[in-house]
This record gives sequence, C-alpha cells and structure tokens, in this order.
Amino acid sequence: MSQNKIGSVLIVGAGIAGIQAALDLAESGYLVHLVEESSAIGGTMPMLDKTFPTNDCSMCILSPKLVECGRHLNVRTYTNSQVVKTEGEAGNFKVTIKQKARYIDLEKCTGCGACAEACPVKVDDEFNQGLGKRKAAFKQYSQAFPNAYGIDEKNCLYQTRGKAKGKDICLKCVKACQAGAIDHQMEDKEFEVEVGSMILNPGFKIFDASRLDYYGYGKIKSVITSLEFERLLSASGPFDGHLVRPFDQKEPQKIAWIQCVGSRNAKINNNYCSGVCCMYAIKEAVIAKEHSHIPVDTTIFYMDMRTPGKDFEKYYNNAKNNQGVNFIRSRVYEVTEAKDDSGDACIRYSTEDGKICEDQFDLVVLSVGLEPGDSSKELAKMLDLKVNKFGFAELEPLSGVNTSRAGVFAAGAFSGPRDIPETVMQASAAAGAASALLSDERGTLVSEKEYPPELDVVGDVIRTGVFICHCGVNIGGVVDVPSVVEYAKTLPTVAYATDKIYACSQDAQASIKALISEQKLNRIVVSSCSPRTHEPLFQETLKEAGLNAHLFDMANIRDQCSWVHMHEPEKATEKAKDLTKLAIVRASMQQPVQPIFMSMNHTALVIGGGVAGMTSAVSLADQGYEVHLVEKDNALGGVARRFSTGFRGEDMKAFVAGLIDQVSNHPNIKLHVGVGIKDVGGFLGNFTTTLENGEQLAHGVALLTIGGQEYKPKEYLYGQDDRVMTQIEMDEALYNHDPKVDNAKNFVFIQCVGSRSDENPYCSRTCCTKSVKLALKVKKKNPGANVFVLYRDMRTYGYYEEDYEEARRIGIIFVRYSENAKPVVSKEADTLVVTVTDHVLDRPIEIESDVVCLAAAIKAPADGKKLSKWFKIPLNAEGFFLEAHMKLRPVDFSTDGVFMAGIAHSPKNMEEVVAQAKAAAGRAGVALSQDQVESAGLNAFVNKRKCTACGTCEAVCSAKAVTVDMVNRVAVVNDALCKGCGACASSCRCGAISLRGCTNEQIVEMLNSL
Amino acid sequence: MSKIINDIRETARQLLAEGKVDVVIGYEKGSLPLKATPCFVHSSEGVDSLIWDETCENNLATYAAKTPGKKAIVAKGCDSRALAVLLQENQLVRDDLYIIGVSCHGVIDQRRIGAEVGEILEASISDGKISVKGMEGDKEYLFTEVKDATCRTCRYPNPVMEDLHIGDTIEVAQGAAAFADVEALENKSDNERQEYFKEQMSKCIRCYACRNACPLCYCQECFVDCNSPRWLTGGVNRAENLLFQAGRVMHLAGRCVDCGACSRACPQGVDIRALNRKMTKDVYVMYNHESGISEEGKPALNEYSANDPEQFLVKE
Amino acid sequence: MGEIQVETENKKYEPKIAAFLCNWCSYAGADLAGVGRIQYPATIRTIRVPCSGRINPLYVLKAMANGADGVLVSGCHPGDCHYISGNYVARRKFALIKSLLNHVGLEEDRISFSWVSAAEGGRFAEVVKGVTERVSTLGPNNGIFKVVDGGAADE
Repeated sequence: MSQNKIGSVLIVGAGIAGIQAALDLAESGYLVHLVEESSAIGGTMPMLDKTFPTNDCSMCILSPKLVECGRHLNVRTYTNSQVVKTEGEAGNFKVTIKQKARYIDLEKCTGCGACAEACPVKVDDEFNQGLGKRKAAFKQYSQAFPNAYGIDEKNCLYQTRGKAKGKDICLKCVKACQAGAIDHQMEDKEFEVEVGSMILNPGFKIFDASRLDYYGYGKIKSVITSLEFERLLSASGPFDGHLVRPFDQKEPQKIAWIQCVGSRNAKINNNYCSGVCCMYAIKEAVIAKEHSHIPVDTTIFYMDMRTPGKDFEKYYNNAKNNQGVNFIRSRVYEVTEAKDDSGDACIRYSTEDGKICEDQFDLVVLSVGLEPGDSSKELAKMLDLKVNKFGFAELEPLSGVNTSRAGVFAAGAFSGPRDIPETVMQASAAAGAASALLSDERGTLVSEKEYPPELDVVGDVIRTGVFICHCGVNIGGVVDVPSVVEYAKTLPTVAYATDKIYACSQDAQASIKALISEQKLNRIVVSSCSPRTHEPLFQETLKEAGLNAHLFDMANIRDQCSWVHMHEPEKATEKAKDLTKLAIVRASMQQPVQPIFMSMNHTALVIGGGVAGMTSAVSLADQGYEVHLVEKDNALGGVARRFSTGFRGEDMKAFVAGLIDQVSNHPNIKLHVGVGIKDVGGFLGNFTTTLENGEQLAHGVALLTIGGQEYKPKEYLYGQDDRVMTQIEMDEALYNHDPKVDNAKNFVFIQCVGSRSDENPYCSRTCCTKSVKLALKVKKKNPGANVFVLYRDMRTYGYYEEDYEEARRIGIIFVRYSENAKPVVSKEADTLVVTVTDHVLDRPIEIESDVVCLAAAIKAPADGKKLSKWFKIPLNAEGFFLEAHMKLRPVDFSTDGVFMAGIAHSPKNMEEVVAQAKAAAGRAGVALSQDQVESAGLNAFVNKRKCTACGTCEAVCSAKAVTVDMVNRVAVVNDALCKGCGACASSCRCGAISLRGCTNEQIVEMLNSL
Repeated sequence: MSKIINDIRETARQLLAEGKVDVVIGYEKGSLPLKATPCFVHSSEGVDSLIWDETCENNLATYAAKTPGKKAIVAKGCDSRALAVLLQENQLVRDDLYIIGVSCHGVIDQRRIGAEVGEILEASISDGKISVKGMEGDKEYLFTEVKDATCRTCRYPNPVMEDLHIGDTIEVAQGAAAFADVEALENKSDNERQEYFKEQMSKCIRCYACRNACPLCYCQECFVDCNSPRWLTGGVNRAENLLFQAGRVMHLAGRCVDCGACSRACPQGVDIRALNRKMTKDVYVMYNHESGISEEGKPALNEYSANDPEQFLVKE
Repeated sequence: MGEIQVETENKKYEPKIAAFLCNWCSYAGADLAGVGRIQYPATIRTIRVPCSGRINPLYVLKAMANGADGVLVSGCHPGDCHYISGNYVARRKFALIKSLLNHVGLEEDRISFSWVSAAEGGRFAEVVKGVTERVSTLGPNNGIFKVVDGGAADE
C-alpha cells in the first residue's frame, strides 16, 4: 500500500451505486471523480417505471439524488467517458480517462432541445429500448444530468458524411442552437486523475433474449422484454405511459410474464438466479393492472417464486390474493405466433402435474436476467480482477465489497445480480471502505460550497413565485395545470406563476433561480410532489439564488391529489388550486429561518457485538473514529459463533475469531461486553447512553446491530424428539460429530418452518440455501444417505442456484409441498416418519427419517422495542427495524444519526450482513465527518411580551427543551434540544410560544383562506 | 356582627399591623344590594369595612396575582382552588400569600331573585332568610331556595389550603362527583342541545365580562383580542361567539375550578357554566382529575397517560 | 369557506374537509396512498404539521367557524410519535374538544380524529372515504356553527 495516499476516489459507473458512493464520499470530505460511459448519469433506474415493494416511482426517488450528485461541488462527473489505463497501488492510483467528444459544449448548452428538434436523423432510442425514436442530437431522458444534449457521431449526417470530406453537410443543429454550444470539431480527449481508491459499479446488461429462439423474441412482435415493458409503463416512455402494444398500439388485455429467461439455465452457462426478476415481474403485473383503464388479465409463468427480500413476500401475497395476478408454476416449452391475425403470442407449457397446455396472450413479457456488461468485463480485465465463471467480479470472502485487488471496491451488479437496496448498501459500504483506507487524507482535496449572500427580504413587499409541476403526465394527466397557474396568478402576493414539465429537473431549477432574480421573487411555492422527498431540493435552489431556504412551501398535488383522484380531474384540479393557495398563504407568511449549529461528538456507539456490530466497529475505527462497542451477552460473536461454515465455504469459526481479535486490539475501539443499556438520551452529534453498570457514554451517532432470534418451532415434534432439530442445531451437531447425525442415513429437511405463515408473513431468506448446503454436506459425506428437502419454493437466489442444481444432480430429492398440506412428522414406535403430499404424484409419501432438520424462521430481535423507544426509531409489523427508505436509504433510520445493519433489519446471510454492516459504518462515517451538526432551525420560539410563565410548555415538552426562567418570568427554548414538534405551541393558551414554519398566524390564515 | 366577620377583621388588622402583608384582599358591602364587592385593605384603618356573607360571590383569586407584594386573601373553597391552580402555574408565590380560609355555604343567585322581583332595591339577610324589596314586589326567600347553582354542586366548600381557618368547617359527603346537570343536557337529543346552545350563543355580546371575572383567565392577550393571528374575523356572530366560548372552555380544560364567577358576571345570562361543567365532567371521568385541589397537582392537559381513553377516534 | 359553495343545483353536494396531518405518519401514509394509487374522494384540504401535538384545538373550532364541513385530524399511533409524546399530549385535547362540540350539538361525524401510520396508505384512503361519506350524509355545516351575521343575532 502506498505511503503517499490521495484523498480522492475514482468511481466507475454513475448508476444508483455510483451516485450513492459519490455522495457519501463527497459529503465526508473526499474528492470524487465519477466516470460514466453514457451521456448522462442515472444508470438503469431512470428506465424503470416503479420500484418494488413500495411502488415508488423510480424516477421520482432518484431525481433528487441525480440533482444532488450532479451539483455537488466535490463530485467531478465525466460523461461519455471510460477508464483506459490505471497504474499504482491502494492509496495512490493514476487513472487515465478517455472522454469521447460530445460535440456540444456542456458549459454553453441550456438543454433547450432546439438542436434535437432541428436534427433530421431519427434512430432507435436506446433509453426506450428501441421502442421509440430519438434524434442524432439527443438527451438520454428528460431529467438527465447533465441537462445537456450530445451528438451521436455514428448517426450524425455531418459526422458520418461531411466531416471527413470537409463538406458542410446538414449542420442544422448548429443553426438552431442559439447558445452557440455545438462544436462539431470537438475531439476525444484523454486525461489523468490521481486517486487513492477505486469503486467500480459499471452495472449490468440484460440477457439477450433472442439467444433463446424458443421464446420467439425478435420474431414475434408481441414478445417483449421486461425492460421494454418498463418503458411501456413509464409516463416518460415512448407511449407516455399509455399501456399499448408497440407494434399496433392495441391495449393488451391479457399479458403473460415468463420467468428465468436467461437465468437458472445451465445450458447457456447462466446457472445462476438473477434474483430480481420474480419481484419485478409481480410489480409489472400489478402496475399494468393499475395502469390500464380496461381490466387486464395477468399471468406469471414461473418455476419457483423467489421473493426473499424485505417485505417482498407480502407484496407477492397481495398480488396473488388481492390484485388477482395469476401465478402458474410451469415449464414453458415455446412461444409461437398466434395462428389468427391478432399478432398475439401463444405459450405452450407444462404444468407441475405434467399436463401440457397452451394459452394465447396479447403480450408476452420475458423476464430477462442480468449479465455482466461488456465494459464490466473489460474493466475487470484491465484491472486484473478475479472474476467468476459468469464474468462477474469475484469478491473476497465475507468482505462485502472487496475485489481481489487492494484499494479497489465493487458495488452493485458488478459482482453479481442485485436489487436496488442491496446495490445502495454496497455503494455505501464501498464508500466506507474507501474512506477507511484514506482517512488520513480526508478533507485535503475538497472545496466548500459558497452560497451567494442571503438577500435581506424582511420588510420587503412579498412577491411570491409559484411553480406548478406537470410531473410528466403524473400530475398533468389529471390536474388541469394551466388553470392552476392562472388561478395562482389571481392570489394575493403572487407576482409570478408558471408551469413546469418536471419542476425537479436541472433546467427547471435553473429557471426558478433565474426567475427569482429577474422577477425579484422573495417567496417560492412549488406545487408538485411530496415535500417529504423534494423539499430539500427546492430549498437548495433558493439558497443558490440567495433566498433563505425557508421562504418556501410546497403543495403536494401529485401523491395526495392527481394520483389519488385519477378519475375525477375536475375535483382534483379544484383541490390542486386549494392546496396551492394554502402553500402560498403559508409561504407568504414565512420569515427567514437561520440554521442552528451544534457540536458534533465524533465517537460512535455500536450496540450489538455480533458479526454486524464488529464489522461496523472495525470499519468506523479504521475511518479514524472512536467506537464504543456494547454487547449485553458475555461474549462477542452473536449467533455466528454457532455456525461452522459460510455459504461460500468460509471457516466461520476462524472468521468470527478474527473479528473478535480485531475489535479487541483496535486502538480506536472500546469494548463493553456483558453489559446492557439502561437509557439513551440526546440526538445526532450529542447522544448520551447510560449502561446498566452506570457508565455513561457520549457519542455522536449510534449503530444498532442487535441481530435476531431463531424461531423455536412448535411444530413437527420439535422439542419432543431430539432428532428433530433446527438448521443451526444440525450445523452444530455436524461440527461436533454428534452420533445422531453422523450415523444417520435418512435426512429430511423441512423448509418454511415459521416463515411465510400468517404469524410471520415473510420469507427468512437464508434457509433454502442453508438447507441445500447442509443436505450437500451430509450427502457428500455419505453418498448412500437418503436426503429429502421438503419445500414450497426453492429460493436459492444468486449463485446459490448452482448448489441447488448440484444437490439435485447428486441425488438429493426435492419434494414440494403446498401451504395447505404441510408435511406431518409422527413417531411410530421409535421411528420418525415424515408424511408429505407429493405434488407430482398427488399422493402422500412416507419417509422414515433419522434426522429431521427444520428451517426455522429468523425472527426480529427481542430488544427492538426498547431501542425503538430510546432512539425514537420505528419497527415494521414483524418487529424488524424500519429503514428511512426501503430503496435508497437501506441502513439509515429516519432519526438522524442512527443506523442499522444485520438481521435486526431483515433476515440475510453472512455475506449480506457484512456488506450492510460496512454500509452502516459508511453512512455513520459521513455523519461523523461533519465538524458540526446543523439544525434547520425550525424550532419553538417565545414572544416574551405574551408569555405568562405558566409552565405548560415546559410540562408538555418531551425533548425537555423548554424551561421557564422564573427570574424573568418567561419560557426559554433550548435550540439544541428542541425537535420542533410544536406541542408547546398548541398547548400555550396565551399564544406566546410558537413554532417557526408552523405558526398560529400561518395556520389560521390558511384556514381563513380555505 | 357575626363572629366570622369579626375574626376576619381582627386577623386583617393583626397581619397589617405586624407588617406580615402589604394588603388584605376581602369583601366589602357593595353599592348594589345583595352584591358584595372586592376590597383591598392596605392599613388597619380600613379593616372594618371587611364583611363576610352569602353575597361574597366574586372569586378573589382573580385579584391575587394582579396585586403586587405580600397579600392576605379571604378565600372560600373555590377561591382557594383557583389559588392552587395559580400556584401550579407560577402565577403566585406561596410565601407572598396568606390565605384566610372561610368555609362557604354558598352564594346567592341574584339573577333568580331579580327574575321574580325585578330590580332589587333593598335586601337584608338574617338567619338563612333573605328579604328582598324589588321594583316589581317584595319577597322573602330561604337561602337554600336562591343558592347559586354552582354552590349546589360544590364539593369543596372548605378551602383546600389555608394559613388560618375562620369559623367552622362544613362537612362534605364523600364520594364521586355528581354531574346531574350535565347529564340532563347530555340526555337530550343532539338537536335539542344544538337549539339550546344556539340560543345561548346568540345571547352573547362578547363583552368578555366572563373572562374578566375568571381567576384563571390571566393571559396578557386573549386569543380573541389578537390581531395576528386573526382567530376572529367577523363581527359578533353566533359562530364566532361559539369559537370564543368553546375556545375559552378549552383553555380552562383541566383547570376550571367551577366557581361560577363567569356565569354570575354575564350580563346576558348566557349559560356559560353549561360548557364549563361539561368540560369538568369530561376531565373528571376521562382522566380522574379535579382541578386545584392541591398545590402540588398539575393541570390535566399538562399530563397524559398511555392509557388515556380513545373513544373520540373515528369509527372505522 | 369563501368561494367554494355547497350544493349548487346541478352538482352533487361535495363537502370540504380541513385535514391536519402529522408529517411523519399520517402525511406519509397519505403519500403512500398516492404511491399505491389508492383512490379516495377529493374532499380534504391538507395542512401539514410536524406532529399531531402541534394541532391546537382552536384550529378545529376555527375551521368549523369558517364554514368547513368537517375536520379530519390524524397523527401517529400512540407510542409511535416521532417526538415521543406529541400525540399523547394531543390526545387529551382531541378527546375534550370532540366531546365539547358534540355537547353543544355539533354532529359527531363532523370532527374526526384518527391515527394513521406511514405504512397505512390503504387505511388513510379508507379513513378519508369514511369521513367523506359521513360528512356528506350530514350535508353542509349549517348547524351550531352556521354563521349568523349582524351582531348578536337572535333566531
């Protein structure tokens, strides 16, 4: 490792992983070079319509991050760029980047689109999967950053025909561009950057479905890929979100999805599960039903329904039981064109009992798998990284993010198929790992954002600017946006009102900024989506325009209007007007609010000393922060102490011992083992935690890694016969050479014990793989053993599919049972008999067994409730920690400064626990790196003249932020403690205490305006 | 002269002479018959104007906080309860206060008498009998007949705290509070109640005499007088009268000591107490809370319990 | 409520309901209803507040005196308050104002209080549907809160 480290990181690939890693690093004091092959950042997420399991609009949740990343001072984004050469070692790399000519000057381009309009060349639009056309002068998608066009040299008339011959062919774009941004003579350039570390997340490509000719893709028009279907659903897609068949614009009434296209297929050497397709197919089916104004019949043809992620099983159940999506467990033989002229496609398939059926559909969607992209392969080759047989990067065992090369980390699908939260987790983990490597150089290369001086608007005539967003068709398709604009113009204080296609886009932000100065606007109202997601974005724009960020309000005319009154456009429009009026009233009465700065304690507290907690602690300690690690048990290691081997064959005993050794000897880690927690107080930057032994720990952030618990089965004679054991117990028995298992000949594994039930309506994720691993172990040890696995769906996602395949190959027998006909374990004399109804034979079979291994569910931690109270953090219905956002904030709590990792978040395997633990440490590191904690300042404040010192405010304040000064007979607010709930303000009879941003004056005027 | 009056005067004289207090707040004979008025005695010369009888209807706690210095105050049960709330709410300092406690059998409901005899010209009280000479006739009443409604349901005729007690104490039946008056209204239909309160609210002229008589309405600026926010926008209309009256009752929730001063002060005869009594009942029933029965208590809305009833939630 | 009037001849009566939603739970639940495209009547006009504890009972009175047909107040479930106890503090006020207004003859269904979590998008929609139906049944706010202008109007 280099002694001469550089406080800068190269990130390759600007999808959600690259963006998240870039933001984490830039926020914690590193300069980021973000390299993106295409002409805009965003990756795959902008192409998706909605995301599972929350059905959040993909673009909507990504958009703020695009903007934040795009405008971050310490993120240098290079689009149309590739890494062509690297040299050096961890801590100090020299990277050569080649940037292809864009032919449009980013500095000059306003993103107006005049060039594209003038361009005569139409080509298939890659962003729309070829379903629509774009010009040779184009922008990838409307919210793209940079908000600038580029010229596709392969298709541009001038570039292909004129340039070489020196002829002025076409050049219509040059004439059209008022900004003079077009430069056809621009050349590719190469330059070098110095970085201390690299994070690689070049993403994936989708499987080319035409490789499997029996699905008819490319031959039958009504057979499309799932990504094409996303574009059909998308409001910004080629048909504006109108669900039609691309070739004849017919509205499909019967749609089928075929799963595992290009996945779980050994014949083409893709014998891994892509992990995401089951969920996205369900989502597409559900959204298709919602989207279409005619009833749509949806059917998913699948082998195993794999929904092992957090809240996925509920989503699946809802689709099946409430939304009417049909699920057919089957093998699809082929897809053929319908014999009639309908353009439909026919699917021939066999059901589980061997019946061969055929059915005709308007549209057949192929759930294509994920493969490493060509540039991913090149990148791995250039950096000489270890890859697996599928071409994905191979990570170091139980490292979460480490590639085979020191200082080079991976995130997202680079190392295998992953969904968005896993990708985001890995990105934060990689950022944390890079930060740990370069901690000495933190802050050496970054610059700070300077805002223009704040305009003093106090006392000025109120001039409110109102921006009404169409959100593509999300709002504009229901609400009559122009009429809302006209209405807004008639309201008091409104000096300017207009509409925006996407108010959150870069160009809209720029336009708002310009209008603030041109129109001398001193209050801004945006009617668009939820302030919960977009308020910070617009407030940033205000600050950049020199306005105090709080001279602002939003009206939520999408999530709480157009989306929920889709069939009542007139009423929705009336409501949008009223909501806009309310926002105008509130904003017009808003006064500048100055932020409040508080000290930041740079120490972390990690609660729970299992693998997650120890991993987080080490990462944070390596990042240079002091860590208190508290474990209530008498020993570190958690449940992992009971495991013998990991899912990739790792020696778990050695791994846990290694971690214990690291935390015990790290100079930055202080251990508190065998002691629980008595109380917690404080807030981000200033927590105080009291241990049961009375010791008080001051810390700035907290990581909650308290693990989970194994379900104690009440079924299958567990606890009554010691030959019935859980997976963990069987693992221990094997490890200890317990004669019970060593001498056994007949093994039966029963899956989903306590999972996917009414009581625990979720999948415990790890048990299918674990059972397969245990089954393989006993079968390999004793090839004569009879091994049965009784399952509902085999959920060996990712590379574990190979184990499942091997298990079947070497004679392990898999018998599917249905939820309604669970196996029965009985005892006849001393013989254990498992009876299960086989689906293929459709009759009960009896298996005499020596060992019955139960895949017992993973349950939420018992201490979750206590922590929930202490840290004010939410739990989900099953008692697992509820993250701030399921997709994009997978390790953050909504409470600032509190993070989570491990089983307490949801069931997951050790590799995933490690990745999440590093992610939590990465995110916590971002918080700890700040010099001070900044509070928005939306606190309670006292009008001394009105205050009677009655003490009601003090009595109702749970934050203990208000006290009565008896000498001056007035209530006093402690800004550091005030959380801004306003209970004091609503309890104050005299109207003496109020809340900034939510005063009685504002609310009463809002009520008066209704 | 009754022994009680004598004792009050002697106590006042002594307190002032010894310099223990700067002022004694008590009652003196008013200019109108059957209506004592508050008086402030600063020196021993004035003590002989102090009286005590069934006409001492004001709640003297109203004046306690507004009177600077050390003060002695003649307190009935309800006055003492108001003092307790004021102490709970930092409006008084106990050390500055000398409570001369007097047990109270109740005060006279003049409105009731006036309704029968017209404007009261002259009146005298002796041995539980009240002789009245009115514009429209003369009449003699037993005190129990014209006892104020508030006093009929009084559970605290004896001061809840005092530094000195004068006279006998009154025996009170133990048991739960009774709210027959509230229940009578509750048992009526929504429509009947609405009609009743429509009539009451229509009578209000928003003179704020109720607020001024209330010992616990001590805000520097009442919400109805506030220009910003504009809680009240229109003129005096029924809806806004209700906003005022119901708002005031909400402000007294868990604080009101049911002294009846507001109702007695109302020139329009608005049944203000019907609102306050309902509130008192709800607070008592839901939170087992009675206001101002000790110095240490807290107003009901300053506290909560995880098990507070939730019948108010929307039906689903 | 100013310009929107009730029951014009052709249109079916549509109540207008002032809704106070806490930012962390009920407002998020309302957002979730949107994300799920769960349809409900366009009758509420939402005022976002940080916490149900911020809701002054006078707001309810004010909304009714201003002519709203109904008021909906929703916060986090007890125990789930982002600020620990804001909804507990509010709960007593809510119970008392509701009972008081019922006592003066305001129809029970005009003022609705509920707890809706950030995860209860569907329930939020159900609550709005239910409240809207019940307020619609009652018709316009012409009872105790009907504005009778011109001094201390007698009837």
